[in-house]
Amino acid sequence: MKRVIIVATLLAGVAAQLGAQQPDSVRARQIRDSIELVRELERMRGDTTRRAMGPQLPPINPRLMPDLSAIADIVGDLSPKGSTQEDATRFAVREVELAIAANVDPYFRADFILGLSDEEGIAIEEAYGTALALPWQLQARIGRFHMPVGKQNTTHRAELHTLEYPYVIQRFLGAEGLKGTGLWISKILAPFGFYQELQVTAVDRFGEADENLLTENPPNKDLAGLGLSARLRNYWDFSESTNLELSASAITGKREQPFNFRLTPPAPDVNAVLARQALYGADLTFRWRPLQQGLYKSFIAQAEFIRQLNARDADPDYLGPSRDFSGAYGFARWQVSRRLHVGGRYDWLEDPELAGETFTAGSGYLEWFPSEFSKLVLAYEHAMPKGVTATNRILLQATFAVGPHRPHPF
Amino acid sequence: MFHRVLCASLAAVTITATAQAQLKIVTSTTDLADIAKEVGGSKVRVSHVSEGYQDPHYAEAKPSFILQMRKADVFAFVGLDLEIGWMSLLVDGSRNSKIRPGGSGSVDVSQAINVLDRARGPVDRSQGDVHPLGNPHYWLDPENGRRIARLFARKFSELDPKNAAAYETNRKAFEDRLNAAEVAWQQQLATIKNKPVVAYHTSWKYLAEYTGMNIVGFMEPKPGVPPSPSHLAGLILQMKRTGAKIIIMEPFYNRKDADFVASKTGAKVVILPPSVGGLRNQKIEDYIALMKYDIGLVADSLR
Repeated sequence: MKRVIIVATLLAGVAAQLGAQQPDSVRARQIRDSIELVRELERMRGDTTRRAMGPQLPPINPRLMPDLSAIADIVGDLSPKGSTQEDATRFAVREVELAIAANVDPYFRADFILGLSDEEGIAIEEAYGTALALPWQLQARIGRFHMPVGKQNTTHRAELHTLEYPYVIQRFLGAEGLKGTGLWISKILAPFGFYQELQVTAVDRFGEADENLLTENPPNKDLAGLGLSARLRNYWDFSESTNLELSASAITGKREQPFNFRLTPPAPDVNAVLARQALYGADLTFRWRPLQQGLYKSFIAQAEFIRQLNARDADPDYLGPSRDFSGAYGFARWQVSRRLHVGGRYDWLEDPELAGETFTAGSGYLEWFPSEFSKLVLAYEHAMPKGVTATNRILLQATFAVGPHRPHPF
Repeated sequence: MFHRVLCASLAAVTITATAQAQLKIVTSTTDLADIAKEVGGSKVRVSHVSEGYQDPHYAEAKPSFILQMRKADVFAFVGLDLEIGWMSLLVDGSRNSKIRPGGSGSVDVSQAINVLDRARGPVDRSQGDVHPLGNPHYWLDPENGRRIARLFARKFSELDPKNAAAYETNRKAFEDRLNAAEVAWQQQLATIKNKPVVAYHTSWKYLAEYTGMNIVGFMEPKPGVPPSPSHLAGLILQMKRTGAKIIIMEPFYNRKDADFVASKTGAKVVILPPSVGGLRNQKIEDYIALMKYDIGLVADSLR
């Protein structure tokens, strides 16, 4: 408004000056022009105001509160020969996951995920900052995160299509997947016209320490003992409805392995030595989702293979693994209707817990989604470990998510 | 021979230089893409994430979109949480600071719109898949089409000032064509005005606001919640009471329930494309054609 008044005053002044020297007709035209100019400026001012302010809206998040969300993961075990859960419960709140996320500043976003459970109390599942403004289109995370090894390991357990991770992940990476604390860097590459992403990490150690094993020195005493991983993702669209992802992963690091020191351990209570372990594997995911019927129909097929390589120690007192192990799974899920999905998984592995004997299991899942924010699952599993009695499990799961809408996993 | 090679090389260099000079625009929907093309003309290169015949909320964060977005100068999106299911994965995944929130190329189009259904009190998900910031389907009102074009003209001019005059000329030409189209469909609007209709989802509220059609009920009991038998029973009574003769719905919803209600009420199910390219068997290639098709079909169905 100020500008308009100033301009109008100036124009009036100029008009008055000119008016003193010019005939009435010219003066009248100049005044008309001045009024027209003021109106135009007013119109411009109106436009500028709308442009700057848009519709009159209150600020959306005036206190800059982070996004806060929670997922409850409740499991029931109705297996005929007793509960197969670790704590033998028939019904349990397996975990409540609290997530806090926000942009820290123009350069970092922070994500914190806390896991609350009866067994572990409060645990930091993930806590990392993501650097968003790095050169060369790099992206980096620093903190604790799910290791980018294999496909399903990067998905939180409550968000899996199945109740538990495939056995190959449980045995080789951990029952709750493999996490690491350190640095994660990724770079998108597309030299051949399709999407490729290289993800590398350097973390404090490979996997969690075994509570029952104590070594003389921690694995990270030497830098060579850090956990290092790499993953190369390749993605192709076959059509607007079908796509394929093929990735390869590898990880290496030192882990505690039992050792019989008899009566002369190098330090009190030491009962383990460090031995290098490496994993490499490949995973394949095929997706079909017709765009127009995407609310009602979809199909996903996934397979993953992992091989575990263990350093061997010829010392007869070394009690760690004396061989390498392999494992794989195949999984498929069909969307029957908007709310209902059916799925199945076949697991095969040379089980380290059974000294490498073959373990196979087949399972079926019925998933019901009352909405995007809740899920009810009924699962049946028939496990056939070689040399051990086969087991049947009947499992139920309910998950409830509250808080802001999270992105749909892809 | 030498001349041919020279000409081909020059042409290739020219094409490459032109492509490099163009603003690279990625939009979340086909409607925004079309208006961006109208305003940008030959000065921009436009691509989009969701197709017109899919539910834009359920578009997938395919890595191939990340390749498009990592070099984009502008990412324009509908906002109001319509793209909340996938947008952050693509924007973060692109590592393109220009299109991150606050970046020079991040364009939340809803900021230029007077939105409907903004929550006035506490909201939670017991009310369905609510959009607390307002109803995001605003492009179905031509006035908002004009607002989008003006927003794009300003943004493109800001990023590419040397072509500002061209963007302004294109914007004006688009608005002139839209104004002319509006004059042409006035008679159809008169047919629609005050007529009771049922809609599947709340996506038709802006069209209703513009045309004056009276939405007397929704197939969904709450936004995003599929119809239940008891809700449909109530809706059938409501339709009989109000005399609603058509059920309008998007092509990506299952029409089984709508057909059932139609069979009980004598109403007609009308599949309306909500976006440019919204029908696979019909060519609805631009925004004005979309509005013309939708208004024409509703009017014809109500005659």
